[in-house]
Amino acid sequence: MDRAAIRERLVSIVGADGVLDRPDELLVYEYDASDEVFAGHHHPDFVVLPRTAEQVSAIVRLANEVGLPVIPRGAGTGLAGGALALRGGILVVLTRMNRILEVNERDGYAVVEPGVINLELSNALQPRGYFFAPDPASQRACTIGGNVGNNSGGPHCLKYGVTTNHILGLEVVLPDGERIWTGGPVPETPGVDLTGVLVGSEGTLGIVTKVMVRLTRLPEAVSVLLAAFPDIESASHGTSAIIAAGILPAALEMMDHLTIKAVEDAFHAGYPREAGAVLLVELDGLQEIVTENTTRVAEICRQHGAWEVRVARTKEERDLLWLGRKSAFGAMGRLASNYYLVDTTVPRTKLPATMRRVEELSREYKLSIANVFHAGDGNLHPLVLFDRQRPGEVERVLECTTEILRYCVDVGGTLSGEHGIGFEKRDYMTLVFTTEDLCAMAGLKKSFDPRELFNPEKVLPSGFRCAEVGLFRQQALAQRLGLEYV
Amino acid sequence: MTGTTRLEPEIALERLATFGVYQDPSAFAVDGVVPRVALAVSSPEAVAEVLAVCAAAELGVIPWGGGGQMGLGNVPERYDVALDLRGLSRIVQYEPADLTIAVQAGRTLADLEEALAANGQMLPIDAAEPERITVGGLVATGLGCPRRFGHGSLRDLIIGITVALPDGTLAKGGGIVVKNVSGYDMMRLHFGALGALGVIVQANFKVLPAPEAQRSVLLAFADAAAAAEAALTLRGSQLAPTALVVLAPPVVRQLDLGMTGWVLAARCEGPEAAVIRQADRLRESGGIAAREADVLDREQTIAFWRALQSLLDARPQRDRLRLRIGERPSRLSELAGHVVTELGSALAGLVLDYGSGLAYVTVSGTVDALRLAWDKLAEVGQHAVLLAAPAAVKVGTDVFGRHPDGIAVMRRLKETFDPDRVLNRGRFIAHL
Ligand SMILES: Cc1cc2nc3c(=O)[nH]c(=O)nc-3n(C[C@H](O)[C@H](O)[C@H](O)COP(=O)(O)OP(=O)(O)OC[C@H]3O[C@@H](n4cnc5c(N)ncnc54)[C@H](O)[C@@H]3O)c2cc1C
Ligand SMILES: Cc1cc2nc3c(=O)[nH]c(=O)nc-3n(C[C@H](O)[C@H](O)[C@H](O)COP(=O)(O)OP(=O)(O)OC[C@H]3O[C@@H](n4cnc5c(N)ncnc54)[C@H](O)[C@@H]3O)c2cc1C
Repeated sequence: MDRAAIRERLVSIVGADGVLDRPDELLVYEYDASDEVFAGHHHPDFVVLPRTAEQVSAIVRLANEVGLPVIPRGAGTGLAGGALALRGGILVVLTRMNRILEVNERDGYAVVEPGVINLELSNALQPRGYFFAPDPASQRACTIGGNVGNNSGGPHCLKYGVTTNHILGLEVVLPDGERIWTGGPVPETPGVDLTGVLVGSEGTLGIVTKVMVRLTRLPEAVSVLLAAFPDIESASHGTSAIIAAGILPAALEMMDHLTIKAVEDAFHAGYPREAGAVLLVELDGLQEIVTENTTRVAEICRQHGAWEVRVARTKEERDLLWLGRKSAFGAMGRLASNYYLVDTTVPRTKLPATMRRVEELSREYKLSIANVFHAGDGNLHPLVLFDRQRPGEVERVLECTTEILRYCVDVGGTLSGEHGIGFEKRDYMTLVFTTEDLCAMAGLKKSFDPRELFNPEKVLPSGFRCAEVGLFRQQALAQRLGLEYV
Repeated sequence: MTGTTRLEPEIALERLATFGVYQDPSAFAVDGVVPRVALAVSSPEAVAEVLAVCAAAELGVIPWGGGGQMGLGNVPERYDVALDLRGLSRIVQYEPADLTIAVQAGRTLADLEEALAANGQMLPIDAAEPERITVGGLVATGLGCPRRFGHGSLRDLIIGITVALPDGTLAKGGGIVVKNVSGYDMMRLHFGALGALGVIVQANFKVLPAPEAQRSVLLAFADAAAAAEAALTLRGSQLAPTALVVLAPPVVRQLDLGMTGWVLAARCEGPEAAVIRQADRLRESGGIAAREADVLDREQTIAFWRALQSLLDARPQRDRLRLRIGERPSRLSELAGHVVTELGSALAGLVLDYGSGLAYVTVSGTVDALRLAWDKLAEVGQHAVLLAAPAAVKVGTDVFGRHPDGIAVMRRLKETFDPDRVLNRGRFIAHL
């Protein structure tokens, strides 16, 4: 089918205002929030904006017919190049599917379309006494579908868990166009846990067209405190000590000196400028627990060198303390023209050593690195500052971040805590996984998408194509048994 | 595709004899089917080796943990080899300060609990017979207990997995950190898949600090509706009980609670002061219509929830079946009414988990009566699963009830991961 004919079919599915293919229209869809310097830009053949699940299904069937790749996309705030059209094809943008369809407090769930903005969902739930726990720092822009795609995290995931712990069911369009529901309002749906498999699959196994989310009750009491430490190391030890004391804060975030300065210059959140690092700790739950734990956390922080501990007394004060954390990425523009955001997770106890290593690498590569991260989870976000105009700097940034990742993996950590593998990190997968591990993952992909039309070139490193899985299996078996493979 | 690797079954069995062989495989019967051999293995590599041999010879394998949950599953289609995994009992890595643990699949829950308790930590699981059941069995069956309301189920806590596949390889997913989006979620692929896609040899969990104090509030109501209303009120409150169930009169009698009618039980866990006040407030706000109230202390609380779990245990008995129906909390009481009417005096037990929306039903009677009961209930609720029943009741039905969407994908997963249908053949959903 030629281009014009495909376009016509797409228009017949979603209407003329739902199909974009002029170069100027496509421009914004050639990127996502991952760094263009590294991810490049990639030109989809068509951008399609469906309004219903039926339309999504029809688009996918058409793509199958004409052999075009399909790439699901939410708000495009992903940081790993997950929503890029690497082999062209049809970019299915779900932002027009943005209705909250049902809120059922009694049974503790809501059904929403994938294009609903994360913060809008929590805002809608708040007056009813509930919230949606995953709260990525991008929550003002990112979509629930994108959260599902990336199994996103956020500050409150320390206590409440990541997105997968809050998704009860999904309506998805599979790569053959079939539309199914997985899971449901009650747990233990018989069969394979397809919901669990789909969350975090980065749009490579299907397009989510409805999401049944778990509602979380707003806690009775909340307390936020800020502790100023002389350096990152003491703040890291403080973090470990809080957890070791059996306290599970709702959030436990750290910012280093560079970040504090940038945030103060830009937003005046009232952070102590002299601090080498600050911890932001939120405690919530029953009033007694919150009161008792606030005192204990303050004590622990002091024991580990905090020279100032501030407890917010009002909601306004709480919001102000959070403001700095929430605007930290935005404030980086004050420090450098570009930054590369690394996302990696190490076991909590490895935080101090890892931070030391990051500091070493910063010196070695002569690159400033700011740190703002989910300390309670061991989920680091070193921000490597650079200027893309300066010759050789981009290469140095890449080498430096590779070293950071390598170190994190060596101490038992992993490649990504919440941003995903996407295109950006897929070739790092071999740092963590063996050929056997990756073949099993390719087998999963193959079971959903045998033709590999769905979000190609993502998650699995090159060389792990579905087609090769069966072959590998036979060879492994033969080798294992000492038999000849015919 | 060409290139198939084949072994004669007898040669395969000979090769398997190099592993620990039990004299009497009949102890490993499933639904009355006795395997040809029962093997004890003690390393992940050995598990992979056994599977490769069995795949090449198309022998059927049933992985065996504690054998506590063999009632769940369809009648085996082919069962040559029982693979006893209890030799894989090591704690691979435990970092109390990280709140994470990696443990081999054959370790018993009791042994795992002991290691955690020594550091003031826990997995929030109540299961009958902890000395018997294994980590692998827990993950493979994917069942939860009422305590998931407060803490999440094992599904929420599993952060890494290693499985042996029928191609003789070992494949891992996840890791030992609490946030991880590196690659596909292989943990949840295998969670609850009944060992149909791979044999779990290791699982990694995030663990929780053990609560300082525990109490349970028991409230007795004259009828199911009043108990349900109280349960739903508490469910929607900020009081945050960690478990919330309603017990029907036969269960109240069996547990010897010294109460009559329908009993609502709520569990509180946390710091001492908070638990005391929470228990008081739970009693006040839930107990308005209650006829009697009781508060259990720590030891009584632990004993109560264990005893309740034992009642739900899945060992098949000749004259009993147990099934689980999933239904939204707001409709559980209606469902209970339906179950009571349909089953009449055959109803031997009914526990309604308001924290998650699951009803556990026990039925007693002859095989014919049991089959009739399943016929009546297989279609109700969001889903209904036969957890345990005499084999005669299971024949000719799918114990997993109506098939959910996505069966085609599940079939392809089975074809990809276990093309020779070595693992638990016929026992999983749709007789995969
Ligand atoms: C400033 C900033 C801060 C951030 N902070 C955080 C943070 O704290 N925690 C965190 O986890 N992430 C964070 N992110 C990353 C990103 O915002 C999240 O991953 C977010 O969930 C992506 O949502 P999106 O709608 O933008 O998805 P997109 O970027 O459009 O897509 C992300 C992935 O999901 C897939 N996808 C999207 N929609 C669907 C669908 N309906 N069905 C199937 N697949 C789909 C895409 O194919 C892609 O692979 C941040 C990003 C920025 C720019
Ligand atoms: C209603 C009900 C509620 C329950 N609630 C809970 C609960 O809340 N929390 C809880 O933890 N437990 C609960 N249990 C009990 C618990 O799930 C089982 O007793 C336990 O999982 C059985 O473990 P096992 O080692 O004896 O498994 P087995 O009986 O040996 O095996 C069970 C199944 O898993 C397969 N299997 C076993 N090991 C492996 C492995 N390593 N890899 C792959 N497949 C394997 C077997 O082939 C078999 O099909 C509940 C049980 C019931 C019936």
